Amino acid sequence: MSSISSEAYKAGVSNESIQGTVHHTDTTAKWFLVSAVCYFFIVGIVALTIAAKFCWPELLGNVSYLSYGRLRPLHVNGMLFGWLLAADIGLAFYIVPRLCGVKLWSEKIGVATAMIWNIVVLGAVVALPLGYNHGFEYAELPMPLAILVVIAWVMFGLNIFMTIATRKYPQMYVSIWYIMGTILWTAFVYITGNFAVDFTAGVNQANLNWMYMHNAVGLIFTPIGLGVAYYFIPKSSNTPLYSHRLSMVGFWALAFVYVWTGAHHMLHGPISQWLQTIAITFSVMLLIPVWAVVYNFFATMQGQWQQLRENVPLKFLMSGVVFYLLTCFQGPMHSLRSVNAIVSKTDWIPGHAHMALLGAFSFFAVAGIYYVVPRMWNTKLHSDALANWSFWFIMIGGLGFFVTLWLGGFWQGWQWNNPSIPFIDTVVALKPIWLVRFLSGSLIFCGIVAFAYNIMATVVARREYVQ
Amino acid sequence: MFSKADNSFSFAIAAALVLFFLGGILTTIVPPMVDKSWGRPFENHDPAKGPTGKLQPYTAQQLKGRAIYVREGCWYCHTQQTRTLVADTFRSGWRGVRSPISTPDEFVYDNPHLFGTKRTGPDLSRVGGKYDTQWHRTHFRNPRDLVPGSVMPPFPWIVNNPEEFSSLVAYIQTLGRAKDWRPDGDYEK
Repeated sequence: MSSISSEAYKAGVSNESIQGTVHHTDTTAKWFLVSAVCYFFIVGIVALTIAAKFCWPELLGNVSYLSYGRLRPLHVNGMLFGWLLAADIGLAFYIVPRLCGVKLWSEKIGVATAMIWNIVVLGAVVALPLGYNHGFEYAELPMPLAILVVIAWVMFGLNIFMTIATRKYPQMYVSIWYIMGTILWTAFVYITGNFAVDFTAGVNQANLNWMYMHNAVGLIFTPIGLGVAYYFIPKSSNTPLYSHRLSMVGFWALAFVYVWTGAHHMLHGPISQWLQTIAITFSVMLLIPVWAVVYNFFATMQGQWQQLRENVPLKFLMSGVVFYLLTCFQGPMHSLRSVNAIVSKTDWIPGHAHMALLGAFSFFAVAGIYYVVPRMWNTKLHSDALANWSFWFIMIGGLGFFVTLWLGGFWQGWQWNNPSIPFIDTVVALKPIWLVRFLSGSLIFCGIVAFAYNIMATVVARREYVQ
Repeated sequence: MFSKADNSFSFAIAAALVLFFLGGILTTIVPPMVDKSWGRPFENHDPAKGPTGKLQPYTAQQLKGRAIYVREGCWYCHTQQTRTLVADTFRSGWRGVRSPISTPDEFVYDNPHLFGTKRTGPDLSRVGGKYDTQWHRTHFRNPRDLVPGSVMPPFPWIVNNPEEFSSLVAYIQTLGRAKDWRPDGDYEK
């Protein structure tokens, strides 16, 4: 194991000196990352607004474009595609050429991809408040925008695959498999969720929709997020990855297990019992790839934990790993019928979903951006203290958000299971929870502002790098 | 075996796709072929086998109302499924009568499906016929006038548009009606 992991170490961590001759311009990565950071801030305002609407339902109540049902898809799509996926794509454009020891295959196509991506996000900002909603969760974008996503994705895939095909190092580091897997799986998952669904109806359609929805997280954000973490955890701690073999177990188990689990979104619902049971079985098996990955990350940090005191990217990365472990423990647990009967459809679920996408994968992306932006622009981060503040704001706000929604969700679920409690009483009972959620969201937003300002100040008013 | 994927570009791609399609096909394409009730509209005339009735396709007006339901994102907060949980059959019930559970054959004309994943407001799978048009008019104008403590947003732009309002109500009144589950058919209009 140690010989393999030392090869991976060479491939993944210490090849910066070998590739000194390759000059990376990173134009594409810069475009994606700067756009992503802007959308993180802008969509954060939408997020706060809809959280406020739970506390003050009359807020902006007479403006149809700003009603809850139209802003929620803007929040979800804006964060998923405008922020997180754009950030992950940008980081992939940074990581892959470096792991391959070559330049990006085509910066021109890369920049064009970033332009199309921005058109998609800006199109969503217009279309969704106007009510052009496709009607599927995570696949709300109207047809023309969804087609642009596919075009951009093919261009992204082509660029990355051609870069990998011309690589100088024969061995592909873990991050490369994860990014390749993301590109391949996403193509099919996205087409299923956005186009194939239109040719079906009813339960059949719901099954496709949930296959997409689950795998939007499981086969898009998880693999690209883990690819990012696999690169930046060893990089930012300057420590070799613990085990190459364990990372293979994690990757191939994820490739096999994830796609089977979509029907767990309809447990107890109008869908065949045997399909529910299959989804439950595979949902529990998800513990295997998750624990393989998390063990590998923790073991990498063995003897290095003191670095977390000063190293902000590492703080984000390792807290992200803990959130990943927790959210992927929740997932299998609430696929069990007994637990599902309590938590399904409650406020527990947004608590769970936010821990995955904000707590785990956005933490990885933020860490990656803090790491690469000063290097790409050959400067220093605007303020290390502000970076530390952004971590604690997002961390404390996030914990407040997750924990109150879990408590509230469980409470709500128990109340629902007692039919003698009128439904409206279970709504009123949640109001304090929603207020705490709004306040926690405000803290998260402060963290986002600190992060976005710090990155923008680094880019715009960059200080000369003093070696 | 998978160590081959370390160095071989094409092997990694092939293996990733094979594993994906194995699970993908078995869980999305095969199930509707095995369970025919996913595509067969509900129809039952024998009271001994449970609620009777027949699922009707939506009328043009009901489809218009359904499109408004999609446009306004009602489905983000209202599920449309009475699950196989005792509490769900009580909560979807009405005036002391428990509702039948939702079955796949009640939804074959639903496109997009509106089962929902989050229940901020009550489930609507059996709401059809529970409230009359005037109730809905008042409720959409300001939900808190009828249900103090509600957090549902007001929808004045629908109430003020008679065509949209009547379409939406026409759609809502169809929900759960394929199964004729009310004693003496005491539905509101």
